[in-house]
This record gives sequence, structure tokens and C-alpha cells, in this order.
Amino acid sequence: MSGKSNWMWVSIGLLCLLIAAIYLATYYYSESVYFRSLYEGAVSDLKKLTMKVNILIDYGNGTQTWYNGTSVPRETNVLMATRIVALVKGTEYPGMGTFVDSINSVRNEGGKYWMWYIWNPDKRNWELGPVASDKYVLREGDTIMWRYEIPSF
Amino acid sequence: MAHGSSEKIVSTRVICLVIMLTSINLALNYVMIGIPNVKLMDLIVFLSGYLMGLVPGILVGVLTWLVYGTLNPFGFNLIILAATCSSETIYAVFGWLLKKLNIGSDIITLLDINGRKFWFTSLKFGLIGFLATSIYDLITNIASVVIVGLSPIMAIISGVWFALIHEVSNFAFFFFGCIPLITALKKVLPEKEVIEL
Repeated sequence: MSGKSNWMWVSIGLLCLLIAAIYLATYYYSESVYFRSLYEGAVSDLKKLTMKVNILIDYGNGTQTWYNGTSVPRETNVLMATRIVALVKGTEYPGMGTFVDSINSVRNEGGKYWMWYIWNPDKRNWELGPVASDKYVLREGDTIMWRYEIPSF
Repeated sequence: MAHGSSEKIVSTRVICLVIMLTSINLALNYVMIGIPNVKLMDLIVFLSGYLMGLVPGILVGVLTWLVYGTLNPFGFNLIILAATCSSETIYAVFGWLLKKLNIGSDIITLLDINGRKFWFTSLKFGLIGFLATSIYDLITNIASVVIVGLSPIMAIISGVWFALIHEVSNFAFFFFGCIPLITALKKVLPEKEVIEL
């Protein structure tokens, strides 16, 4: 068999491999497009079901940790939002709400307690939470703070 | 040529073989109907073109599709029937061309399966099977999707697995089936009756 004929058959073999590769590449590209659209759809649905809030945890010793843009379910309360970013333990008092005992293992002791505040953008100051943290429903863009402190009242 | 080509085409033995191979094709197609896109028909059409010439090869392909495409449990569609009938001739053309190129002409001496040449010739047949099937799939996929009203690119994407199954299975059929079947069919079709167009 001549060398020219061999090269022709090698070329045909490579052409077949190329066809198979094109098919596989086309298939996986279409799959990636399909799954990307599914992912984007899921993200879009998730955005409809969630909202962004900002959470600050102030440990009272100069350490402050911000959790900006935290995604939380809509209609969620302060306690549930805090539980997304920190380990929170509390005691529930029926009719009154949950009293937070510790955040990230920092417990209420020595007259210091975990108090929560909400940022008032109009007055530009922190306002003490008016109710128990599990009774206050957050809105899109709210900013809350937990501060470990000796209550002023 | 001593005789007119039409005289050769209507050779009784060739007509009998065309009808027999068409019947075998139909039987195989209906038996394998549950396995999508895996069919021995393409190999038979290829061998018809290889052994009997272009016209008988095309006849086997077209006649098979005329029956199988009409009496098909998946339904009848004229555009698909036209596409498959015309595309099936590709196998006959490739078979005829390979015969012209003398590929596998020394097939009797290739029966020693330990020989390197046997496997190399089988590989050639396999590659031709793959290539012919890819052209066939391209045409039929486009025809199928045109009916639905999608773009040709969508045709390739939507039919990619079917096409790959078809091509890989035909590679295997051509690889393993060509030499044994050519050897067997040559016994019932003496060289002097092979149509040379």
C-alpha cells in the first residue's frame, strides 16, 4: 500500500474523530446552556423569595462583625436572620418572645446582655428593638445590630 | 462493453438479490425497531453497492425505505421519507466507490483473521461506515427538524445522541460485518455478474 493511500485513511480516521468530537462538544455546550438557564431561573426565583439585610454583631470589646447583604427569607424576623449568620441560643417565653442567652458562645453574664437595635436611616441613629427579636419582622434593606452591653435601662 | 449497461442491470440474479436483500433489510428493521438508530440496513445497502454496483445498491436502499418508511409504527411523513430514501443512497454510493478504489478486493485472501491486513481493511470499512452515517444523519436530522420548524443547528443538537449511537453502531457493523458478508455474498454473485457502471 502506498504512503499516499495510508495518509488518506489516516485523514478519514481523523475526520471521523473530528465528527464525534463536534457532536460531543455540541451536546455538552447545549447542556451547559440549558443548565445555566435553569440556574439563572433558580436564582431569579430565589431573589423573589429572599431579601437582603445587614447584620452587625458588636461583642462589646471592640470586635464588630458585619454581615452585609445577608440573604434571608422574606417576612423573616430579627432572630431568624441572626441565626443565619451566628450561633444563637435563647429561651422562649410564651406570649413575650425569645430572650437571647448567647451569640457565638458569648453568654449573658456579669450584667451584660445581648441587646438588638435597628438602624433608623431618617434619624441616622440606632434605635433599641421595640419588641423581642423574634417578634420583629424585617424589611428589605434593614440594618440591625446586636450589641453585648450593660443595658441602659 | 460488449453488452448495453441496461442489459446488465436487469440481470435476473441481480434482481433476485436486490429483492432478497430488500426483504432481509425489512425483516431486520422490524426486528430491531425497539433499538433506536441501530440498524443493519445501512450495511446491507453498502454491500449491495459494493458487490452489485451503484443502481442495485440504490434500489435496495430506496425500496427498503419505501416500505419501511410507509409502514412504520412511528408514523409516516413524506418529507422524512424523501430524506431517508435519498440519504440511504449514500451507503450505496460509498460501497460503489470503495469497490472502484479496490478496497477489500483481495478479500478472499483476507480470511486469515490473524493477518494485520484483515483488521486494517476492516478498519477502513468501519471508518467509511462512520463517515457515510454522519452524512446520512446530518441530512435526515435537518429534514426532521425542518418539519418542526427549528434551525439546522438545533437539528444537530437535538439529534446528537441518536447520531452518535447510529454512527458508532454502524462503525462496529461495518468493521465486523463487511468482510464476512462480502465473502458470503460473492459466492452467490459470481464476479461476471457484478454490475460495473
